[in-house]
Amino acid sequence: MNAPLSKTIVIWVMVGMVLIVLSAPTLVVLGASFTSGNIIAFPPDGFSLQWYAKIAMAADLRDAFMRSLAVATICTLIAIPIGTLAGIALSKYAIRFEKTFQVYLLLPFTIPLIGSGIGLMLLFGQMGMLGQIWPIGVACCVINLPFMIWAVSASAGGLDPDLELAAANCGAPPISTFLHVTLPAVMPGVISGSLLMFILALNEFLVSLLLTDARTVTLPVQIYNSIRSIITPDLAAISVVFIACAALVIALLDRLVGLDIFLKSK
Amino acid sequence: MTKTTSILALTRRRFLGGAAALSGLAATGWTGKAFAQEPEKPAEIIVRAWGGSWVAALQAGVSDPFTAATGIAVRHDLTEDNEIQPKVWAAVAQGRVPPIHINWDTTTNATKSALRGVTEDLSDLPNLANTTELAKPVGLEGYPIVNTYGYVYVLAYRPSAFPDGAPTSLQVLLDPKFKGRIALYNDGIGFHFPAQVAGGGSLEDIPGNMEPAWEFIRKVKAQEPLLGEDPDFTTWFQNGEIDLAVTISTNAREAMKNGIDLAWTVPEEGSKFETDGLWIPKGLPANELYWAKQYINFALTVEAQQVWLDGLGLPGVVPGVTPPEGLAGDPSYPTEPADFERLIRVPTAVQVEHESDWFGQFKAIMQG
Amino acid sequence: MQTSKQAYPFRWRVMDAVENTASAVWPSRFSRGLPYLMLLPAALLVLLLVIGMIQIAESSAHRLDRSTFLPSEDYTGANYSQIFSTGLYWTVLWRSLLGSVVVTALCLVFAFPYSYLMVRTSSPLLRKFLLIALFLPFFIGQVVRAYGWLIILGNQGVANGLLGLVGIEPVRLLYNYPAVLFGLVQYMLPFAVLMLAPALAAIPEELESAANSLGASWWRTFTHIVLPLAKPGLVGAGLVVLTLSLTDFAMPAILGGGSQDFIANAIYDQFFRTSDQGMGAALTLILVGIGSLAVGLVFTLFGAGTLAMGRDRK
Repeated sequence: MNAPLSKTIVIWVMVGMVLIVLSAPTLVVLGASFTSGNIIAFPPDGFSLQWYAKIAMAADLRDAFMRSLAVATICTLIAIPIGTLAGIALSKYAIRFEKTFQVYLLLPFTIPLIGSGIGLMLLFGQMGMLGQIWPIGVACCVINLPFMIWAVSASAGGLDPDLELAAANCGAPPISTFLHVTLPAVMPGVISGSLLMFILALNEFLVSLLLTDARTVTLPVQIYNSIRSIITPDLAAISVVFIACAALVIALLDRLVGLDIFLKSK
Repeated sequence: MTKTTSILALTRRRFLGGAAALSGLAATGWTGKAFAQEPEKPAEIIVRAWGGSWVAALQAGVSDPFTAATGIAVRHDLTEDNEIQPKVWAAVAQGRVPPIHINWDTTTNATKSALRGVTEDLSDLPNLANTTELAKPVGLEGYPIVNTYGYVYVLAYRPSAFPDGAPTSLQVLLDPKFKGRIALYNDGIGFHFPAQVAGGGSLEDIPGNMEPAWEFIRKVKAQEPLLGEDPDFTTWFQNGEIDLAVTISTNAREAMKNGIDLAWTVPEEGSKFETDGLWIPKGLPANELYWAKQYINFALTVEAQQVWLDGLGLPGVVPGVTPPEGLAGDPSYPTEPADFERLIRVPTAVQVEHESDWFGQFKAIMQG
Repeated sequence: MQTSKQAYPFRWRVMDAVENTASAVWPSRFSRGLPYLMLLPAALLVLLLVIGMIQIAESSAHRLDRSTFLPSEDYTGANYSQIFSTGLYWTVLWRSLLGSVVVTALCLVFAFPYSYLMVRTSSPLLRKFLLIALFLPFFIGQVVRAYGWLIILGNQGVANGLLGLVGIEPVRLLYNYPAVLFGLVQYMLPFAVLMLAPALAAIPEELESAANSLGASWWRTFTHIVLPLAKPGLVGAGLVVLTLSLTDFAMPAILGGGSQDFIANAIYDQFFRTSDQGMGAALTLILVGIGSLAVGLVFTLFGAGTLAMGRDRK
């Protein structure tokens, strides 16, 4: 990039501010988790691993974490086919009443989460589905579905319609065209969308609060509940474990497919 | 499975054999008889509780000894009392088994559930015979709730900010020195009634005319108070954000345990006295209902109350409980009739009917 | 696959069978219906929420009877008329609307250079770093992140400590409207960047170099070429941030110090604190209405955002 100095400065100053703002709470939480005191504080009060020892001992946290993983997996598995199809449909085809469809598909964002939670609790309750894990996965999928659809349709922008036409002209039947031309083109969107869906489901607490019970409680709900009475540094330690897992997943993803895939549009 | 065993092992270590607990259960006679035809035990019962030191106290005083005595594991659901309410109400309305067996609840919230008819009657608990009149919910038929202890919304303060001694009146909230350094509950709970007195009004006018309270609260609003819930008070005192707060004494005690210098007082205007209780939602299978009742019955023994309420620092409903160290005679620990003279009690029925208006009025002032 | 050496591999046969089934089930003359068929699963999934909303709409038409804490039998618009005649709700409504617009604008302004640098940098290392810095905060949830800010911005926090070094007395940085907006911007920035980046990546870099070589300043190139081409991404990112911050609950609750409620907090109070489901339901529906209107307005003014990109270029 051979950019003029003023442009470089403007960009870097703003990016620097964003970086500080994005990382500051993470760093504070990281630091606070090593405190030897009983209070979340930064800089931490001495150094100890006691809070990590405490959460490592807590079987209920481990169970809750496993349930959260299950919820996030179910959510992502549902979101991938449904969101991919919808995303391609919206970006590739002219659709009648498109604006209405868009407003409809954005309902998960315009309905406040408490409303979604109450509504789904009543609905799932009537259907006798409460008390299980998978409805929570479905709920997390619904409330974040627009992210999946939009991630796919954003990358469908890189899809060259001529390429599909060419495939069809060469006699490729529609499903082959879809599998060999369309799908690979939107793959970056599918991957970034599913990663986002997974993370958001892993962290969802407000809707899950209404759909879980003591036997199916997920980790973010447990954190939210314990924050309501007392805030201790073990929460910071849990967050750090989360971040460590995240870093691992991201490193793995980078090894397997390369992080650049998020930004490749062609 | 391993979890159950470990809980039991832990319990045994902590409560030598749970013998005291067993005697608590058997002392009733009724339970002794019931053992002959006692219904099938569920593997576990679920008790909703507040987290942190609250649930720790309940576990040590009631849940663990109950498990030791009966072999029934107790799982604690830490959902907030007001957040479990719609879940329980929906379950009863839809004819489902409710998500919890026992709700540890504020008496006001529990009364709403009782009025709605989602509570089981607990009048046949044998240990009710040993309780003070505080255990009986006022203005309700029978025992849809059993109150288990009382608490006071004290005026907590940071002694270093009061070199001349404890504040004596709520007027201190209006001192310009404390602008931005005072805290109240975000719906004003615990503050409406003392504010009525501080504003020059009379408690007899509640609920008819509460204008004096609103007038006083408007003045407090100009002092830019922080508004929060239980954990916020502890955090704010810890982080040096506030010097004064109207809050439950338990929260102030929690901050003190973490090494924060704090004290509390009942101002001359008085402080609001309230109770918490236990209740059982409708819709449980008969055997689970039976054992849930046993749990509450056990919570009304002296042994259970002693350990549970030591942890909370609050006065119970069974005579013979020794106050925790330093709390005998404390204004936040009323036991004698004289102790109650400085405390404000408003009938639950009045509170339940008007509470949302008061919350709304308080919010309207504070959010404006 | 070992069959690949055969004249007509097994896999092809399977594909043929799939194609034949597909064309039997969905003949090509139906092809105009295809996009709707593709949208159907998503529409059905969202239908779950709509059914929930219908129940909520039903309960919003009943008044709470405070002697039984059951909804009234008869239908009434009393909840709605009470909302519209209560000043508190207008205040909270206005605060949420203004807040979400300000947050959206700030997010777009700051997400743009970040996405731009991430997409355009020639250093793969820098790109990776920016991506990771973007994704990591996602993993500590909104609530814990807000508590991180309580520590940083508190009276005895890091920020006031720094101010103290230059001789400034501790300032109350928390528990006010700007603190809530700041928390929201911080929470929404990664979303905005993720929505913007693909749109920026789709703008050919040659276009910019061409403009530059023709003598346009970078600012002119930016306003005349990059910005218009990035419009779909901006609309998409803007919509996400606008709707999510309009309905946010945690940031106003934690960073607002109790006096900066958004509508979602008022809804929470009705559902959970005063047990008045009817009022909570009415407020929910009003918020959904406002949010959907805002979305419709944005679509009408700016086009269908990111989603239209594939077609626009035809």
